[in-house]
Amino acid sequence: MEDNSYKLIIAYFEKTISDEGLNQLQEWIEASPEHLSQFSETIQILEASKSYFKQQVYPEKTWSKIHAHISREDLPQLAKRQGRKWISYAAACLICCILGTALYQYRPGSSEIYQTVSNRNGQQARFTLPDSSVVYLGGGSTLKYPKNFNGKIRNVDLDGEAFFDVVHQSAHPFTVTTGDITTVVLGTSFNIKAYDTEHKVAVTVKTGKVAVMAKHNGQDQVIKYLLPDDQISINTQNGLYTFSDISANDVVSWINHDFIFYNTSLEDIATALEHHYGIAIEFTDPDLSKVRLTAKFKNITLTEAMENISILSGLAFTQNGNHLYISNNNQKGGKIMK
Amino acid sequence: MYLQLTDEALTDLLRKNDHLALETLFNRHYKPLCQFCAVYTRDYAAAEEIIANLFIKLWDGRHGSLILNIRSYLFVSAKNLALNYNQKKKEPVDSIEDINICESKFQDRDTPFRILSSRESYAGILTVIDTLPPGQRQILLMSHIDSLDNHQISTILGISVRTVDTTLYKSIKKLRLLLKDFRRSAS
Repeated sequence: MEDNSYKLIIAYFEKTISDEGLNQLQEWIEASPEHLSQFSETIQILEASKSYFKQQVYPEKTWSKIHAHISREDLPQLAKRQGRKWISYAAACLICCILGTALYQYRPGSSEIYQTVSNRNGQQARFTLPDSSVVYLGGGSTLKYPKNFNGKIRNVDLDGEAFFDVVHQSAHPFTVTTGDITTVVLGTSFNIKAYDTEHKVAVTVKTGKVAVMAKHNGQDQVIKYLLPDDQISINTQNGLYTFSDISANDVVSWINHDFIFYNTSLEDIATALEHHYGIAIEFTDPDLSKVRLTAKFKNITLTEAMENISILSGLAFTQNGNHLYISNNNQKGGKIMK
Repeated sequence: MYLQLTDEALTDLLRKNDHLALETLFNRHYKPLCQFCAVYTRDYAAAEEIIANLFIKLWDGRHGSLILNIRSYLFVSAKNLALNYNQKKKEPVDSIEDINICESKFQDRDTPFRILSSRESYAGILTVIDTLPPGQRQILLMSHIDSLDNHQISTILGISVRTVDTTLYKSIKKLRLLLKDFRRSAS
């Protein structure tokens, strides 16, 4: 009975009570003064608990935050459509022409012999290409190049990370193919990070000028011209890209066995360490990989690097042979509460 | 046009990268979500931040996830995020120690008499509400969120409608007792 009276009072309070219910409630209240006080106390409690939500919310402010996130993702795409449209079209035409004729002349010599250099994770190599350009090839990376650069263009294929210091030959453009993304230069030094498994191509220019092109409907189109300390990062799955100002020296520091990370997610740091030290890093909780760090490691061992990361991030790590696990420190002690 | 679309239609549009669909869902559910979240966090600013992140997560995961009922998805996620937030705060809200501290606080400063005789008696009752068992407190507060009825509360919390109802009655009963005790000891 008492439950039923509460039900009626709540319905009354929320103005959803039926006529029949209202009569019932009235009769019940009149039946005893005890009921009347129960009624008024309950109404008071309901009003008070409702006032918990009196506080104002600010949807506009929150939305602008969400909107900023969404448009950050979309902006480059828009910029691609607007921007200096005709310049890029003209440039694309020009480069397509050059490439077209280059390819045409290249055809007869298509019986080219290719050479492949492959590094396992943990390995790093420095070698010279037939045109005496220098390549630093990172861990877990593969570079395929013709034994002789006979054609009009010097083309190499890359999966992984490499730093190129290209000898200038204005008649023979140097191109690096990484999936659908092609980087064209005449004579510059630049870094490309394009591990197939990461679905991301990052091109950073140290000196000179570089054109980055993407295959679009079977045709190469220029996405962006890069100048020193420019970096473009392209997601090869959805074609979105971001463009940033960065210190090229930091990016290529890996060739001297140094690492410089600025506000970099642990996920990216882990892959860099995996390639460099030839280990596998796993996170016990995927959320941990989102932690961001800024750190410089100058030619130190894996254990030293991990200890530093552990101090900076407050996370724990355990090594088991070639496997390294990053876990949440707090989990070890178990949860005290709850 | 978007305002008339159902949540399901909006979820489909969201998968097609439609900003407006996200904005419509946001405007439709933001306030009740914040209120719901604030029941756990007891802090509106934190609640608003949690809900902002929830919508960002929804947008980022728009391709991967197959959400059948976006409304319960949002509320259940909000609940989980709020609980995570509370845990990370390292002030376990529901620990026994905390409740004891609260009660001792009552005896020292906020005597029930002062609470109830003050002009802001709602604030007083709210303080007493905070001493209810967490389950009762949550349901009592949630029952006032406009767009949430008892059926929805029961699906979100994963309990039966009947339990929601009886918990609500129990909480009022308990509160009346508490308040009565305080009134008596005050007079």
